[in-house]
Formats: sequence, structure tokens, C-alpha cells
Amino acid sequence: MNKQLTIQQPEAEREFSLNLEDLRPRPAEKKTFASYFMPPRHSFILFDPEKCTGCGTCEMICSTRNVGKVAPSSASVKVITDEKQGKNFAILCQHCRKPLCMEACPTRAIEKGNDGIVRISRLFCTDCGLCTMACPEAAPLKAPNNQEIHKCDLCEGEPLCVKYCPEKALTFTRGKAFRWIKGLRWTTQFISFLLLVIVFIGTFCYFKAGSVSLACPTGTLQNIASSGTILLIGGVSSALVLLILTILSGRIFCGWVCPFGFVLDLVDKITPKKFGWPSFLKSRMTKYGVLAGAVGGSYALGFQAFCTICPIGTLCRSYGVQSFFKSAELAIVPALASLEIAQRRSWCRYFCPVGATLGLTATLRLIKIVIGAKRCKKFSCIQCAEVCPVAIIDADQLREGISPKIPMTECIMCMRCIDRCPYDAAKIRFRWQKAVPGENRK
Amino acid sequence: MNPFQPFYNMKIGVVDLSTSSTEVISLDQDRVLKHLGGAAMNCDIFNYNQGDPLIFGTGPLTGSFVPASSLMIATFLSARFDRLCHVPFMLRSGPDMKFSGIDFLVVKGTAAEQSILHVNNGKIKMLPAGNLQDIPIPETIRELKKVSSSYQSFILTGPAADRGVPYASASIGSKGSLDKAGFAARMSAKKLKGIMFGGTDGLTFNRDNPDQGKELEKRISEDKNFKHKGFLSILKNLEDGMGAGRALTVSRKKDMACYNCPSPCMTHVTFSWQDPRKEEIQKIQDGLLLLDHMGFAALARKVGKNILPVLKSCLDYGLDPAGVASILSEGETLLECLSTIDKIISANSTRATCIPGTYDLFGGGIPPILTGDLWNKRVGLAMILGVCPIFLLRFPQITDTDLLAFLSTNEDVLKTMREGLSSVIESLFTV
Repeated sequence: MNKQLTIQQPEAEREFSLNLEDLRPRPAEKKTFASYFMPPRHSFILFDPEKCTGCGTCEMICSTRNVGKVAPSSASVKVITDEKQGKNFAILCQHCRKPLCMEACPTRAIEKGNDGIVRISRLFCTDCGLCTMACPEAAPLKAPNNQEIHKCDLCEGEPLCVKYCPEKALTFTRGKAFRWIKGLRWTTQFISFLLLVIVFIGTFCYFKAGSVSLACPTGTLQNIASSGTILLIGGVSSALVLLILTILSGRIFCGWVCPFGFVLDLVDKITPKKFGWPSFLKSRMTKYGVLAGAVGGSYALGFQAFCTICPIGTLCRSYGVQSFFKSAELAIVPALASLEIAQRRSWCRYFCPVGATLGLTATLRLIKIVIGAKRCKKFSCIQCAEVCPVAIIDADQLREGISPKIPMTECIMCMRCIDRCPYDAAKIRFRWQKAVPGENRK
Repeated sequence: MNPFQPFYNMKIGVVDLSTSSTEVISLDQDRVLKHLGGAAMNCDIFNYNQGDPLIFGTGPLTGSFVPASSLMIATFLSARFDRLCHVPFMLRSGPDMKFSGIDFLVVKGTAAEQSILHVNNGKIKMLPAGNLQDIPIPETIRELKKVSSSYQSFILTGPAADRGVPYASASIGSKGSLDKAGFAARMSAKKLKGIMFGGTDGLTFNRDNPDQGKELEKRISEDKNFKHKGFLSILKNLEDGMGAGRALTVSRKKDMACYNCPSPCMTHVTFSWQDPRKEEIQKIQDGLLLLDHMGFAALARKVGKNILPVLKSCLDYGLDPAGVASILSEGETLLECLSTIDKIISANSTRATCIPGTYDLFGGGIPPILTGDLWNKRVGLAMILGVCPIFLLRFPQITDTDLLAFLSTNEDVLKTMREGLSSVIESLFTV
């Protein structure tokens, strides 16, 4: 007979039992209002394998600081050489934004300071080595003579390895102080929002001034389906404007112009915690189904069915000064924007039929975004994957050292990856170009 | 007070291969003060030991913040020249020996079977290495790393030395060396397959050494030699060096440096080639580190554009490229060259063959960047203090005073050292 063993803890003992949370409480993440818009800078050391000659001066000077003597095996940086390829690699802490070593440390000896530096507290470290196993760079290094863990602390802001490297293969960076693409994008989004929602109300759906006309391509498709005829040459050609823009520059409308996209980006700022979608809902093909449904529904019902609930359209029609509080459509925008608590740009990823139309058009695009294999730090950085609002950069591929292929039909051309990449590895290329300039990889 | 205290472990390792005994003894302070270190100290230790020992030594500046402080010196009685020779070993072998806890290593006697020495944490172990007989050097390293992955530096002999080939050359890892004086043959005669250094300890050196090193680097940074780096920059100093350089057609080049060297003189090359000895047509992607300028130039003169596959074959077998070049004829095809090398290895030849060429006191691989007495002085200085001789030949503006300043700030001590240094250098050439 199986006997289930249970340990009865005395009541008095239970009251006074301590766990790790009591001994070393995890510090609460301090988020200021300003940090939503300008996240704290990410200080780290950039390594240029092309310049490194493998002289080991970095190891010498680092060990001098760590243990007070020249003992390269006790350094927090290690240069290894691929003897066949003649390539040097530096194993060096990247002070990740979300350090895996910190999560793995059983004694919580590793903390990330407000200055972005990830440090090991010698007081609590037991040299168990779990951090080394958890780190994708294996950057906490175990000294072979005494098994002590050494990890880069950026010499508290003035890294000696950077100062003494004779080839200038190491560069200390505090991240980009001002990301001009970010500034330009927010400004453009704000102006677009102002023009489409407040000033020229309803003009996104259809706009005509003299001989110039512009129209939503998805709306035009529904119009054709519902009316059964191509009524206006002008109407079709006006829809083509956005499609041609997409052919020239990808889905730049979604990332830079769409007023609902702007609303979603703002909502994202105030809902940093995401709950995630159940996996059965996470299909990017859904939006093509919505598009087919919108066109089919319009054909069956005889009017532009989806346009009545389109968040972009309702935002442009119902939130202007004249029409505010006059429309029943007002609830649609907050309802769909609330999807942002599940995932960033949920609507754009899975449901938006306008995005689907532009995505289909983007198969003919002239440009693409590439992440250069040679420059990309891959497994330790993955900042591009972190900032991508539509999550099309595969972090797992990056961790495996593979340059991810970016599906341009899904990319909204927000260029966050280009803006964030500290190695300048993410670039815009023509679709027929195969690599980032300066790289010989085909 | 001993000014060398932070620069040396003050320990000598002594191995008797015939009795398999190892011990670590203290380094006599007075003898260090007299000879400073490196080749001069090696000579002194050699004279105190019976039975034709091999002496491995470091200089006081080896492993320190002096630029290019990578040198280990192996001193032995060369059967080829019947005199003491000093072979320089660069890359990281010198610092790793020091950081393994000993400054000098004496290897006496002859082992009963092929053996390998493990040196780490101030301890020496002698282990059998019969399974490594006749194995190419890259495979030997793979085998050794399987059992002791933490070891950093290897001084090895290849199948050429195992079979008594007169052109055998010792190798630092799988990268070759500047040994053209028969050091590998002496190791092989003692049945010493190699030495492994763990390099897990360290030395304090002087507190202000990092800044002194940086200052020295800054001083030479304006020199044209500093700007022209890499293997070819040295090659052009040799007779027909430019012609040899033209034979170098590679897909990728990358300059590589020895320990703490700001001005690399080595280049890693990647190349593809097809082995004509094999029937299947398959391009092989290979890579090797070019560090032996003299050997490369000699071989390039004979084999031209086939230089890289032939050189790779020499390094795998532990052969001196200059020695191989001496028996190859000009205009031979790659197949003929590789077949000749295979024949050299398989012939189990005796030591009767005489190698032509001018092999000198310091292994024969240090290029004549300077000439005459100046060359002797610079190389002698390097071989005593433990700094790369090629680096000191390239930058003659670095004086002995500059280097000695790393050892002490005391003017009296420095004056004594300076006075002693010139006589110590001279003694190297009169032994």
C-alpha cells in the first residue's frame, strides 16, 4: 500500500519560517512616468571582432582589478579564438535589460542597479555557477584556480579594458542618447493623428479636393464588393496611392501614419504588463480572414460592412471636435485599444484588414529590413526582438546565432529595431540586396 | 629587498624524466640579481645541471604590462651546432608558464616511454603519452583537451620529431614556432612529447606598470612600423620577402597578436584548396596562423602559390618549413610537394642529413629586421628580459632603460641593473 507522507509543520514554527523573499526581497522595479517615454540608458561594452587581435590585454587589466594581480584566468572578460577561422570572440557581460543570470541566482546575489550595471554581491554569492549556465554569453566566468565567479561590473562606469585595449576593439557605450528615428516617428504619428482625427475629420476613409482624391484601400475593396461595379476610376486610383506607398516603403503607413496605431502605442506605454493571447488566437492569418469577411460581408449586405466598426475609420469620423460625443461608434476605439493589455499592437498583428491589404501589397515591396550577421551580437543582445511591436524578430533564432529573416508582409516599418540596435546591424536594404554593406556574407 | 619579487614566483621546477621525479625548488635571489633572467639565467641553470638538460625560462618582464611581454626561452645543447642555443617561444607560452607557478623548468634525463608534462599551480605532473606517438599535432591537441580542457598553452612535438626527422620543429599549440635549431629533436630524444601549462595563477608585478605600458605604447604609436602591422610588414624586410608575400592568395586575412602586443606581426589566413592526393574532388576550407617569417619566405621561394597547403602540412607534422624548403625543388606541383613531405615523415630517416642554411644561436627564426651588432643587442635584451625579440627589433626606440624602469623605481637598483645588463647580454654570445 502506498503511504503518502506529509510533513506536519508545527503552528508556531510555521509562523516564524523564513523564505528567500524575507531574507533577500527582490527590489521592486522603479518606474517613473518619464521612463515610459525615455527608458533608462543601457550601458555596456561593444566588442569589434574585426579589430581584436587576441592580445589579451583586456584580460590582464581586468584581472588586476578583480584579484589585484595579473591572472588572466581570473578576469571578467575572456577572449577566445576560433583557430580555423581566425576569429576572436570576447566573452563579456552585456548587462542585459532582463538578465537571465539574475533570475537564475538562488541567493539573489545578482542585482541590476539603477545605472543599468548588473553586479554580483560577493557577500551573498556562493559561487554555485548557475548564473554562468543561465547566461547566453556564459559571461559570469569561473576562475579555474579557486572556482570564484567573476563578472564584469563595467569598473563602475569607467571600464579599464576599454581604456587599455591597444586596438580600440572595445568601446564603452551608454546607449544612444537620442534616438532620432524614435523622435521623428512619434512626431509624425502625432501630426498624422492631429490631421486625420481633429482637423480633416473623416478624410482617411475618403478625401477629395479638386482632382486629388485619396481613399482607404480596404474601404475601396468593400465599396466595389457592395456596389458590384467599379464606380469611379478616381476612387480606385485614390486607393492606389496608399498601395504604391506600401510598394515603395513597406507598411510604413501602419508604423508612422495610422492614427489608431498611434493610440495603440500610447496605450502600450501605460500598460507595460502584458497578459498574452491564448495560442489558438495567435494566428497572423486571422487578419486575412477578417479582410475576406469584410469584402464578403459587404457583398452580401450591400454596404461597406466593416467600415462601420473599423477602428481607424471610427477614430477619424467620431472623435473630431464636431462629432465628439455624437456618435455610437465612440466605444469601438477604446474596446479594441484594450486588446493592448494582451500584446503590443494586437489589433495590427491579428485582426486589422487594412494591415492585411497592405501586407498583401507589401509582397511587391522594394525594400526590406535586414539584420547583418557579422555585426549582430545575436545571442546576448536581442534588443531588436524586444522592441519589435509586432514580434516578428525571432529571439530564439538570434540566441542560436542565426540572423532572423524578417517577414516584410508583417513588418510595420516602425524602424524601432534600426533605432535600438547598438551595433548598427539592422539596416534598410533594397529587396535585391543580400547583406548589410561591408559584409561579404551572401 | 628583492626587486624581482613581484615579477617572479621565485620557483624552479625540476623534472628527472629517467626517474619520473618532479620537484619545485626556490630560485636563488642572488643568481637572479646577477643574471636577471631569460636566456642568461637558463645558461646558468644549464651549467649547474648534469646530463644535457632542457631549460625553459622566462624573463622578469614576461607576462607583465610591458608591450609584447610574451617570451619563453628554451635553452638546450643543439646537436646540430654542438653549442647552446636559445629558442624563443611567443604567443602566450611565457606568461602561461609563469602563471602556472614556476619561472624556470629543468628537464633532465630520458624517459622510459613517451611522456608529457602538466604544469599548473606550482606543481608538475609527468604523465605517459604513448598514445600520442605519430599523431599530427592538431589531433594531439584535441586528444589532450579531452582529458585536460583547462590547460592554456602547449609546447609539442609532432610526428616528424617522433620519427627522428632532422627538420622537426617544436610547435606552440598547432601554430608552429621559430625553432630551427633542433629543439624538437632534443625533446624527442628525451621522449618528451610536450609540456602543458595551466596558467591559472598570476603575479602582481608593479602597481604602476599598466600606465607605464600604456605610455610606452603611446610613444611608439607614431612610428611607421606601428602603423604597418601584420605578417607581410615583417616579410618585406627579408630578402625577396615581397616576392614571397605575393604568393599569399587567401580569402581572408586577420592580424593576430601575441600576449599584450600592440603591434601584431602575425596574420591568420583562411584559404581553400583541394588535396591532390585524394581522388574525390572536394575543396577544403582551412586556416592557419602565419608566425614564422623566415620559414614562410624560404618555402614560398620554392613552392610559390602552393605555399599555404604545404605550410599547413609542415605544421601538422611538426616540420620546419625552411628545412622542408631546402629539399624541395622549384616549380614542383602541389602533389609533388605533399608527396615529398609524406616521404620525409614515413622514411623514418636518421639524423645524418645535414640541413643547409644559416641557423644561429637564437633558433634561426628571428628575422633580420636590423643587422649586425644592433640585431645582437636587441635580441639579447629581449631574450633576457622576456620581451618578444621581433617587437624590440621593430621598435629600436624602446631602450633598456625604458624596460628596466618597469622593474623598479629605485634609481640605485636601476643603475646596478643597467650596468649588469650589458655584460649579461654579452655573455650570451660568448658561451
